[in-house]
Amino acid sequence: MIRSLALPILFGLAGLVLPFTGSSYLIGVGFALCCSIALVQSWTVLSAMTGYVSLGHAVFYGLGAYVVALSWGALPMPVGLLLAGGVAGVFALLVGMPVLRVRGPYFVILTFGLAELVKYLVIILESELGSFSRLMFGAPDLGVLYAIAFALAAIATAGALLIRRSRLGRGLLALRENEEAAETVGVPVVRLKLVAFALSAVIPGVVGGLAAMRTTYFEPMQAFDPTVSFTIVTMAVVGGSDDARGPLLGAAFFTILSEVLWARLPQVYMVVLGLLLILFVLFIPRGLAGIFAGRPGKAA
Amino acid sequence: MDVLLSGQLLFAALITGALYALIALGLNLVYGTMRLLNVAHGDLVMIGAYVAFWGLTLFGLSPVVGLVLAAAAGALLGWLTYLGLFRRLLASPQLMRRLEGNSLLLFFGISVILQNLASLAFTASARGYQFMDQVYRFGDVALTGNRIFVLVVAVAICAAVYLLLRFHVFGLAIKALIERRDAALIVGVDIDRVQLAAICLGFAIAAIAGVLVSTTEQISPFMGFPFTISAFVVIILGGLGNISAGLVAGLLLGVLEVYGVALTSAAYRSVLIYGVFIAILLVRPQGLLGRGSVVR
Amino acid sequence: MTALSVEGVSKSFGGLRALSDVTFTVAEGETVGIMGANGAGKTTLFSLIAGHGRPTEGDIRLGERSLLGLSPDRICRLGIARTFQIVKPFGGLTVLDNVVVAALYGNADRPSQRDAEARGLAALTAVGLADRADGLAETLTLSGQKRLEVARAIATGARFLLLDEVMAGLTPPEVAEMLGLLDAVRRRHRLTLMVIEHVMKALMQLSDRILVLHHGELIATGAPAEIARDPTVLRVYYGEGA
Repeated sequence: MIRSLALPILFGLAGLVLPFTGSSYLIGVGFALCCSIALVQSWTVLSAMTGYVSLGHAVFYGLGAYVVALSWGALPMPVGLLLAGGVAGVFALLVGMPVLRVRGPYFVILTFGLAELVKYLVIILESELGSFSRLMFGAPDLGVLYAIAFALAAIATAGALLIRRSRLGRGLLALRENEEAAETVGVPVVRLKLVAFALSAVIPGVVGGLAAMRTTYFEPMQAFDPTVSFTIVTMAVVGGSDDARGPLLGAAFFTILSEVLWARLPQVYMVVLGLLLILFVLFIPRGLAGIFAGRPGKAA
Repeated sequence: MDVLLSGQLLFAALITGALYALIALGLNLVYGTMRLLNVAHGDLVMIGAYVAFWGLTLFGLSPVVGLVLAAAAGALLGWLTYLGLFRRLLASPQLMRRLEGNSLLLFFGISVILQNLASLAFTASARGYQFMDQVYRFGDVALTGNRIFVLVVAVAICAAVYLLLRFHVFGLAIKALIERRDAALIVGVDIDRVQLAAICLGFAIAAIAGVLVSTTEQISPFMGFPFTISAFVVIILGGLGNISAGLVAGLLLGVLEVYGVALTSAAYRSVLIYGVFIAILLVRPQGLLGRGSVVR
Repeated sequence: MTALSVEGVSKSFGGLRALSDVTFTVAEGETVGIMGANGAGKTTLFSLIAGHGRPTEGDIRLGERSLLGLSPDRICRLGIARTFQIVKPFGGLTVLDNVVVAALYGNADRPSQRDAEARGLAALTAVGLADRADGLAETLTLSGQKRLEVARAIATGARFLLLDEVMAGLTPPEVAEMLGLLDAVRRRHRLTLMVIEHVMKALMQLSDRILVLHHGELIATGAPAEIARDPTVLRVYYGEGA
């Protein structure tokens, strides 16, 4: 318990100190890191705990960005962000019912297809509306965005930690192991899966809105970029997703890697991403956190 | 209305359908024999397209020769990935437990690597070349030579592979592996060799399809993904691992896409494809699952 | 008092008729054994009672309440728990977590986590797995996993257990152990049991009454001693020559 909290606390302290450096470069990196942590932790609530691996979390991120862009100027910024999370959550509830009936690898490709479908629908909608890229003037400055991102990362990490130990988390882990057996010992699998899906969608929705503010514009191809989904999964695989430490390690690893490579050699960065994914799937299935944790033990 | 009834549109649908059937055939072989979900399949189409492009621009080789070169390149890639990655995956009981999911992640990694290596090597800009672009008329149907080439080659390769699976010893072994993996093992099929052959054949077919695509369309490092999706739609529509139904499903998707776009607009193409894809997955999850869970 | 009534239940899978017009009741506190060859419809019957699938015809009631259309988790909270012929442990969880989940979700009174842990441990103790509580369920032997199935069913707080071949594949000493354990558990918790078993001796010893299914039809009901002499049963069960 103490050991598994040490890393989150360390990250938290570092995150609190960061603004005092006054370096907008560092704060920018911190912003990206916090967004990634928030995304991956949220993703684990569904995908690590239930085994329903989503390769379509870009849809929540994109919807959040779209909601913030649409409401820009019409609603106060915090309301827009909350709405972004709400819309993402409600969307998950609506599509979750049919989508979560599909299991295993088919769920993976289904979530991917769904995210792409929504992307192209939004593109058609935007061209019908006659707007191709929405500019957002007067976005809050980096300091404010960082503070919000840090809060999201903290909430997502705490949430992931708490859910694992909660009644909900125990039910989710059981249905991950065997859905039919879970059902026969009284776990309402359909409802729990839906709750997990919605919970894992809300924060990514807010993060999407936040990211749109950071770039100060919304453009569907970019907001719904499948790379977002792919990066989340890769961070989780490389970091490990058996507990809340994995996403921290995975997000930190890739944020640093991206700082080193992305700006200068984006393709090389992507190649490295692909190589690492292969390497970890084949040789280190428990991820970086697994290396630190030592032998495979309790899953909860 | 007239447009919808024209032979022109029918041929367009046939050509698209034959190409889809061909691409999906390769995907189906790899899934059927090993339960590997190859989400990098479209990127092999891309590789094939670049082989034809560079063969022509650098060495003046006709795309007809390109077909052979691309097939060899595809088979080589299949050989490398099988020996490097999938033989290990298939041999590890721990990884086998979630074989399909793990294979999907591995192929996703391969897909990203191929796309970005291609983009590094060839730049991200779209390229194209001229090949057999004279127009032939058959009644009221006008087709460019390259599209006839696509149709003829796609149909020929589909037929050849179909006959191979049906009558040749090696093809029968592949079929046996698809239908009854455990039984194939018992009757002494050399599974390792058959799997290697299936992956090489599957990759080679995708690369050949890439050559065909490059004769009619612009190519780019990121062109592959829509083909991956179309191929998945086809094999899910036809039933995973079901080779002959996949051929029919390929034609069906071609018809659906060409007529669907003719009825709406090109902007709806992606929505149409993804819509069909999602609808199939949602309507038949039990059916799909039944097959998936039989083999562990 | 009648605990469960199965009334005219039939089930068809496509053209295949797995159960036809099966009717019987189980009284509270009774142990009913079910006999029948493979494919006689025994497991199908359990599945229908537990809510996995719906009868093509007929009704299944717990007390006065019809179970038709209820989800398996709902039926579990109403007090019916089943075990699986092919064991389905939560392999990646610890043995304790396996039963804690059952206690958390299976009990209608929604126990706290601490409470659920206590109930789970009690269930493990009842089947003799308490010393393995912290190991992963997938590391248990077959005998251990069979006992875990029973423990999980007990932990749900169900009063009505459907035990599907919990002794299949066990060695004779393990069978004897399981028999003793089931007998103790049913006395302590005053359970009603339905038991599918191929180990004849065990079934005869455990059951108050035995139902015989043959090709989906209920062909005989009676006390173990009667069933052992029933000419119809002898003919279909031990072959035409017997």
